[in-house]
Amino acid sequence: MASQLSFIGFAWKNLWRRRLRTLLTLCGIAMAIGAFVGLVGFSRSFEHEWLRMYLSSGTDIAVVQQTFLNTSMDESVGVKLKALPTVRQATPMILNLMDLTQDVNALAYGWKADSYEFESLQFISGRRFRDGQPEVILGDLLAGSLNKKPGDTLQIQGSPFTVSGIYHGGSALEAGAVILPLDQMQKLGSLEGKVTAFHVRLKPAPAGESPEQYLKRAQAQIEAALPGLRAVPAAERASNNQLVLLAHAAAWGTSSIALLIGILGIANTMVMSVFERTREIGILRALGWKRGRILLLIQTEAAVLGFSGGILGIAVGWSALRLLSALPQTASIVSASFPLLLLAEALGIAVLAGLVAGAIPAWRGAHLSPVEALRHE
Amino acid sequence: MSEALLEVRNLCKSYDEGRIEALRGVDLSIAAGEYVTISGPSGSGKSTLLQLLGGLDTPTSGQVLFRGAALGAAIDLDDYRAHQVGFIFQSFYLLPTLRAIENVQAPMLAVRHDAHNRARRARALLREMGMEHRLYQYPNELSAGERQRVAIARALANAPGILLADEPTGNLDSVNSARIMEMLVGIHKERGMTLIVVTHEDEIARSAPRHIRLRDGLHNDRCEARPES
Repeated sequence: MASQLSFIGFAWKNLWRRRLRTLLTLCGIAMAIGAFVGLVGFSRSFEHEWLRMYLSSGTDIAVVQQTFLNTSMDESVGVKLKALPTVRQATPMILNLMDLTQDVNALAYGWKADSYEFESLQFISGRRFRDGQPEVILGDLLAGSLNKKPGDTLQIQGSPFTVSGIYHGGSALEAGAVILPLDQMQKLGSLEGKVTAFHVRLKPAPAGESPEQYLKRAQAQIEAALPGLRAVPAAERASNNQLVLLAHAAAWGTSSIALLIGILGIANTMVMSVFERTREIGILRALGWKRGRILLLIQTEAAVLGFSGGILGIAVGWSALRLLSALPQTASIVSASFPLLLLAEALGIAVLAGLVAGAIPAWRGAHLSPVEALRHE
Repeated sequence: MSEALLEVRNLCKSYDEGRIEALRGVDLSIAAGEYVTISGPSGSGKSTLLQLLGGLDTPTSGQVLFRGAALGAAIDLDDYRAHQVGFIFQSFYLLPTLRAIENVQAPMLAVRHDAHNRARRARALLREMGMEHRLYQYPNELSAGERQRVAIARALANAPGILLADEPTGNLDSVNSARIMEMLVGIHKERGMTLIVVTHEDEIARSAPRHIRLRDGLHNDRCEARPES
């Protein structure tokens, strides 16, 4: 039987004496951290999939107007763009969100049939669509959700489209998307001659110029040639678009509320614990424990609560992410990957939440007079 | 008498903004290795005096000197309690979440001891108290006499020079009372420790070589500790 008493062991015994209260507090912080991991993981996964999409297609720069889903850029811009000395290829595209059935919505892209972005797709069956024809190609994830194969008909906003092919994309955003001919997309939205963005591949950087410098020079060149438009590097476009920013804001906002509730739960537990143990704190002071050591004991208990709740919360959040990555409604924008940085952040936040929650009870416990504490009933 | 280990000078302690005066100008000197009992009627201030001697509280005025240095000024009270003093209380005050052997280690967490030494020392002290068969029991699984023996072992954990016992037999039957007092006196003799026992039992009070009786201090302007016998 273990006979050595350690400081951490002592803290754990104090928590374990009220098992139900400790478990309920752990559940509270676990739900908060679970919400953080699930929501922030979701928004980061969303951002990551955007980046993968750009990288897999080899896009260096997106030429856009100021707002993200604004489809009012003139398609004729492409002529000027292609004439620039740094530009190798420039292809127009439209991006939108569409309800395909009552249960399934998907990102819808409008591409030209000769777009270089087809290079990142692997056709599993069928072929590319043709410009001017009511045809679509479906990502394998979306095709599975809709149970469609080449030759089937898909109704989009009341118009019939023939599924010409099924592809596997470089990112979950593409795997869960539908891609239409640009002209058909323009017709559906009454946006003839208009596009959301031009995706640009640059020529190789000249010798002696770093890729970063070259990218900046190309950006400046495009923006000078096309006043009123922005040339955004792909990585920035992935992390700074309104959809991703909105997802981040919603994730952090909701997580913060959940964390606040978790902190209040730990604080309540620690206040009660210190009150109930007033005499025991007096005993420890009588045995020579300094104020700082009492403070450390109570803060250790709070940190252990936060850490244990954090571990549980990570399990909850990871399960939620796995579930989201498997559901047809969200599979297209969430991958099941779990970044280590998020794990470290979640644990750090959980322990910090414990320390913040334990600060006032710890200060109160440390400043009890030994004699007063010993008299406490 | 040898040089004073503890010296009390004009010690006063009042509560409730001065409305209750527990001690009013007590002077007292205790030598190293002495065995002293303090008795007096309820409310005479004997427990208050013990708390001040043990550095659990600070006087309203006056001084407690340890080897000539003032407690709370020249000597840090936490360090004093951790290294120089061992407390034994009437209600034992064991920590309920800890086993007997862990309770004895609790004071050692306040000072530098490695974990292995802590456990070894706790085991040895409990063996000395005849508790080797109850090392892993929780306080609520022990009899009153056993709890007090664990408390004595705990008081000795950091090898203090002074043992302060506040009514150590107050919650014990006569058999256990006699046994506990025998243990305390034995420890005092074998280790040469200074033993100060507060008691309301005359038999215990008079058994010590030096007996201090606090007289109704609250009603006199100057309540002096008066050695008897």
